[in-house]
Amino acid sequence: MTALACAALPWLAGCAGRQSALAPAGEDAAALHTLFIVMLAGAVVLFVLMNGLFFYLTRINPVALPLRHARLLMAVGGILFPTIVVGTLLVWGLSLLPDQRRPGDGLRLHVTGEQWWWRVEYQPADGGPPVVSPNEIRLPAGQRAELALTSSHVIHSLWIPALGGKMDMFPGRETVMSLRPTEPGSYRGQCAEFCGASHAWMAFEAVVMEPAAFEAWLAAEARDARAPATPEARRGADIFAREGCGACHAVRGTDAQGSLGPDLTHVGSRQSLGAGRLGTGLEDFATWIAHVDALKPEVEMPAYDHLSEPERRALAAYLKGLE
Amino acid sequence: MSEEHAPRPEEDRREFAEETESLWRVTFAPALWALHFLACYGLVSLACARGLFPIGATRAGLVGLTLLVLAGIAWLGWRGFRQWDVHSTGRRANPGGHAEDRHQFLGHAAFLLAIISFIGVIFVSLPLIMLEGCR
Repeated sequence: MTALACAALPWLAGCAGRQSALAPAGEDAAALHTLFIVMLAGAVVLFVLMNGLFFYLTRINPVALPLRHARLLMAVGGILFPTIVVGTLLVWGLSLLPDQRRPGDGLRLHVTGEQWWWRVEYQPADGGPPVVSPNEIRLPAGQRAELALTSSHVIHSLWIPALGGKMDMFPGRETVMSLRPTEPGSYRGQCAEFCGASHAWMAFEAVVMEPAAFEAWLAAEARDARAPATPEARRGADIFAREGCGACHAVRGTDAQGSLGPDLTHVGSRQSLGAGRLGTGLEDFATWIAHVDALKPEVEMPAYDHLSEPERRALAAYLKGLE
Repeated sequence: MSEEHAPRPEEDRREFAEETESLWRVTFAPALWALHFLACYGLVSLACARGLFPIGATRAGLVGLTLLVLAGIAWLGWRGFRQWDVHSTGRRANPGGHAEDRHQFLGHAAFLLAIISFIGVIFVSLPLIMLEGCR
């Protein structure tokens, strides 16, 4: 038994991590976590009690119950007890629901589900113009942010397990969720509604920051792209223009103003590439440019595998430099 | 053919008519539950999604409807309990095929269905009472 418990211990490591509802880092996820633990414990107790009763009545003391006791058992165990348990859980669950739907008290975000990435716009509390920064959701800790969700083609669902429950995103409709993260850190979000070939690769980083750090980040994110600093990066900027990347991607402050694909103004400072698909090393940028169709099946962006190795490296240097 | 097996169509028809009515009554409590469910979800949707009526008045009206429906189901349950007639006969189950057995069995079924419908209506109305507004 001890050996079995010890053998099972490493599996508990799966409960922690950046994408686990069992390791809550926000108020909403914590409430769901408590609900889950209580229901799990209750289910285990009921399971053991029921099977214990079966075992007792069939193996240990297999005598016929007096009719009156049997009827009492059926009325209490079969009708009264389940009604009270289900009713209590229903009342408790309903009392949690308004908290999960509470309106935000500061930052407001617009998130649009695309094939297969996330268009994110931050609406600052002071009423300034929205700040565009896709494929990453950054939130200030200790504040309730409101996320207005929609989608452009098919139904998606936004889920950051460490921060809260999921909410579907519908084309032509707006749904609202609010999150109050408490622990600064980097978590992983994932599309939770099957949306096509690359559904499983439609993820993102959810970064919870101290409010001051968040404000600084948002101010930096609102600025135009920095000019390429090295000769290689400048060559990369030329290739970017020559290959027509700007038809789909915007790099604010340059001629690239496309809006079909993710805004790349500050792509070099993001924590993942391709909506949670790759890391952010130079090598990742080069791989992404050449093999995007293999990394994200049926993606709209064509693979630029006709570019030579040095051209790819230059382009990667340019993009990585867009911090 | 003996006397007791002779066909008696008039008597059969009378008996059958009574049981048809009783059979209908079995469905009344679950039907009330279903209509209540439909009214709650339908009216709240019309109030929230279409804005046809104010949500406060809709909730108050539906709480009133819930009380009426619960009273109706309780009455149906009481009638079923009386028809089951367990106290005077002492028979909980009615396995026999006689008219009286059928009559009492249908009362028993109506009584049990009324209990589950009563609980169902309460569960359906809890969100109505506990969740404010349309959010």
